[in-house]
Amino acid sequence: MSYLLPTLTRKKEVDTIIRDTIDKVLVLRFGRADDAVCLQLDDILAKTAREVSKFATVALVDVDSEDVQVYVKYFDITLIPSTIFFFNAHHMKMDS
Amino acid sequence: MADHSVKPNTNSKLSFTSQNHNVTKREKEKKKDKKCEFEFCKVCKLNHNQGPRHKYFPNHKTALSSFLCRFQNKINDVRFFLRNPNVLRPEHADRNRFCCVFCDTDVDELDSSFACENAINHLAGGHHLKNLKHFLWQYGGKMDQLDKYRISETDLTKWEKKCESLKVEAMVAPTEGSGLKYGASNDIHYNVNIEKINNLGQNTLNSVKPSYSNVVLPLQYNTNEYQISNSRFPEVSHFGSNFHEANFSNTSLLNSNDLKANSSGQQNLLYNGICSGNAYLSDVGGCQVYQNASMVSRESSSQGLQSLTQVSSISTIDAGGNVHSGALPPWLEAADQTLLNNQVKPALSSFISSNKSQKSRKLNPKRVGAAWAEKRKMELEKEKRGEIVESDCDDNWLPNFGRVWQSGSRKESRKEFDIEKHKFLKVESHSEMPVKIQPYISKRMFHNEKLRGKRRVAHGLTVISPQDI
Repeated sequence: MSYLLPTLTRKKEVDTIIRDTIDKVLVLRFGRADDAVCLQLDDILAKTAREVSKFATVALVDVDSEDVQVYVKYFDITLIPSTIFFFNAHHMKMDS
Repeated sequence: MADHSVKPNTNSKLSFTSQNHNVTKREKEKKKDKKCEFEFCKVCKLNHNQGPRHKYFPNHKTALSSFLCRFQNKINDVRFFLRNPNVLRPEHADRNRFCCVFCDTDVDELDSSFACENAINHLAGGHHLKNLKHFLWQYGGKMDQLDKYRISETDLTKWEKKCESLKVEAMVAPTEGSGLKYGASNDIHYNVNIEKINNLGQNTLNSVKPSYSNVVLPLQYNTNEYQISNSRFPEVSHFGSNFHEANFSNTSLLNSNDLKANSSGQQNLLYNGICSGNAYLSDVGGCQVYQNASMVSRESSSQGLQSLTQVSSISTIDAGGNVHSGALPPWLEAADQTLLNNQVKPALSSFISSNKSQKSRKLNPKRVGAAWAEKRKMELEKEKRGEIVESDCDDNWLPNFGRVWQSGSRKESRKEFDIEKHKFLKVESHSEMPVKIQPYISKRMFHNEKLRGKRRVAHGLTVISPQDI
């Protein structure tokens, strides 16, 4: 499913997508393309990406990439898949 | 019912009344035994043998009220068109089927020119009224609510007048009336739907001849921009070859180009005359262009033959996605880089900015990151225009805060992260030197070693400092 959604492997790419998504929610999935649970989530994300495309953008971030480790640390990502939501370059806290 | 509190001396009466009582009881039993024929209640949708009593049962009453409610909603929809007559387009005709429950008939609109025309006529008819009365009598509806389910004569005449006036308008400006009615936005700067224009073109091709005299057309763009772009006509005329088919672009610059390319000299003058008069051809011109296109292509493909239009349609219309399916016009894909960038950019950017400003007007100004978003939009616009934007996005940029936090503010988690980062960096800088596991050597020992080392150097031996162990 990761070929249906943009997969980011570099910090610069992640920065760009965060900074360029304006007035739309940005959903970043941190995970691996070969993990089973990630695949399930990716499937759902790919299917819904079009439905929500008017107000949200969905992208995947490869958590194994070296460049992205700073984000992994920043967001304290320990379990995958991890979904992080942004709006106007602000990280959105999701209350559970 | 027998009155059992009868005085004892009236024995005869007693016996009579008891007899009476027996009789009535028997009658009742008979009535009960005498079963009515099964009939189907349309409202409750079940078969019952309760006869005429059925309509007083509470279940039936509730079913009836919901049934009538539903039909009332349908009638309200039709009433909307009674108040606002609209021209009915053929492809929508088969969607508007009105099912009258009182008459048990379907009324379809295949041959009507106005929306719900047949339904309105049906609801106003005498036949419907008769059926309505019968229904209400049979199923126990209130007879004073007759008028809710029919259309009165006065309403009908009003509607007919409105339809007449619509028809007259349609004769004068064939596409304008209906085109504008069909969801054209009030903002004249917005683009008119390509599909709609095309359909209107089709509708009017056979029936009405457009007359250009009294046409009042919406402005497609600002006057200033037209004057700017007008001067660039000759440069763009070479795009005419792409505009062979009926092409309705979003900018009227392209529109006027169509006309230039496809029209004959005489019509060209006519168009120019109209254009200069500040009534830019949109719908009407489009129609004419469509006609011209088919004519022109006819001439080119089948020399002299004037009956075959089909050949032209096959050659010009792309099988994959055409103008009816609302596909992106090919010239826009090709031309959008060159044309729009070169000429229409001033107009387009004003459109974009007006579009965006419209958007931002709707967006909540108090939304998260609003200030940042505005700033970033300006930056992006600048970049689009080609100006160099001083970007504050360095390699160490990170979005506003980061982690999962349960209490406190966002900034605290960011501070935590920064502290950790500094620690990490310090560790890293230390480890840049070759990391070797060394036994602990106290400063005193090191100092002693140093002294010893100095003496050894004097003798020509290499120094092995504690760090190299």
